[in-house]
Amino acid sequence: MSQTRVAVVGVGYSTVGRKTTLTWQDLVIEAVSAALDDSGLRPADIDGMTTMGGSVLSDAAMLGIGPLSWFDQDDFGPAFIQPAAQAVAAIQAGQCHTCIAVRVIKKGTFAPAVQSNPLSADGRVGGDLQFCVPYGIGGPWWAALMARRHMVEYGTTEEQFGAHVMAQRRFAALNEDALLRSEISLDEYMASRYICTPIRLLDCDYPCDAGAAVIFTTEERAADLAQRPVFVESYALSASGEPSFENLPDLTNQSPLHSAELLWSRTDLKPQDVDCAQLYDGFTIITFEWLEALGFCNRGEAGAFVEAGNTGLGGSLPVNTDGGACNVGRRHGANFCIEATRQLRHECGSRQVPSAEVALWANAVGFFSGAMLLTRG
Amino acid sequence: MTQTAAGWSLPLPAHDSLGSFYWRGAAEGVLLIQRCSACGLYIHYPRPVCRACLSRELSPTPVSGQGTLHSFTVMMQVFHPFFTDRLPYVVASVELPEQERLRVLANVVDCPVEEVRVGMPVEVTFRQLTPELTIPQFRPRPGWDGSTDAEAGR
Repeated sequence: MSQTRVAVVGVGYSTVGRKTTLTWQDLVIEAVSAALDDSGLRPADIDGMTTMGGSVLSDAAMLGIGPLSWFDQDDFGPAFIQPAAQAVAAIQAGQCHTCIAVRVIKKGTFAPAVQSNPLSADGRVGGDLQFCVPYGIGGPWWAALMARRHMVEYGTTEEQFGAHVMAQRRFAALNEDALLRSEISLDEYMASRYICTPIRLLDCDYPCDAGAAVIFTTEERAADLAQRPVFVESYALSASGEPSFENLPDLTNQSPLHSAELLWSRTDLKPQDVDCAQLYDGFTIITFEWLEALGFCNRGEAGAFVEAGNTGLGGSLPVNTDGGACNVGRRHGANFCIEATRQLRHECGSRQVPSAEVALWANAVGFFSGAMLLTRG
Repeated sequence: MTQTAAGWSLPLPAHDSLGSFYWRGAAEGVLLIQRCSACGLYIHYPRPVCRACLSRELSPTPVSGQGTLHSFTVMMQVFHPFFTDRLPYVVASVELPEQERLRVLANVVDCPVEEVRVGMPVEVTFRQLTPELTIPQFRPRPGWDGSTDAEAGR
């Protein structure tokens, strides 16, 4: 890249739990404070802030961050890759030098729905949602359509979904910060209840209250900070098609293919150079789509790739080494950026991927997505 | 809003929205899909402009009512109390023959849940969901032999 080289220099979480008494502001305060402590920076050193959730300008002022020369708040984007990408782009463009990207999420509280899907004042439903509600949609029904289609087109099996669930739970068992840590067997997976076929409870991420913050800065400034820097090698955002998961041109993969194409076109590194991958797991099928889109295996082969043990500890491509959002809780991808950073700092203890030099994290699925490739400094 | 026996109501489609023709058509027993008068593109969900040619001249157009089951899920957990008594039921994406990748959502009716297969030929039927709302649904086409997942493999 000819642009300014950007580094991750601080990462942090709030208290995380299934049901905390923390407010949105508490979550932001704790996460930002943790990331500042991690980096050795003070609030006044930050001149950019991007968020998904929270309220960017009030949150910055509340914490003494600024004055800001760059800020952005997104409430309907591809999860944490959105504020992270905005932060990196702003630093590369010279609009700010040190930007903190924040994701804050409360259990069961989603960002506002797509703008075209309002519930009107009389309680009626308009927009695209009017074509779904009368048919009894709910939960991961759209991901179930993707998973079923993947099974039919490629022969993917429920046991292969289970292999992924088991593999990332084994990582969670090694992560003190994970909320779910007991190992599960294939029998336990197959016996767990369906939400909507073929998706089982254990295929779903685990809703929680969580704040997460990541600080990006220039290579020059990164040199004097508390942590060994981790560098942004390449990143990409993609929006592809109408904003409805159920109406994708290709239900088995859409914008992750575009994100991956962009990501690899912006680096000399190749999929085989990646030491570990942190791939969104809102539902198991999403991780499968990323494995295929990013070229870690061919289209349709994610199930076999996972079942062969490639994604576990000691496998050819350890995946979701913190345990994934199914086990550390739904942090909307911020956990994947933070885990990739920690793996590249070699601070992950018993779940550390030996000598990790290159890590990738990827977010969202369907019509919007994004990914980022990081290297050890 | 329509009350169920348990007192729960299903949000009904908004009045006078871009999609209202769909429900008016269903009430009259016709499956209508928005179509661009300038270039002929079918558009679903309805939009205020044609994405292919940017024409604003769009009109609801009757389609054949034939379809192929593109994907489906069997709902095993209820997310709205209105559907409590209906579990398990199938939510399906049905591809219409009028245009590649033109799909609508529906439940599959008149077919045991365990017999539903991707690739099965289906046809539209219209069912009253509430006294105020009739919706397009799909059922197996006459002559379907129950064969399975016909579209396997690319």
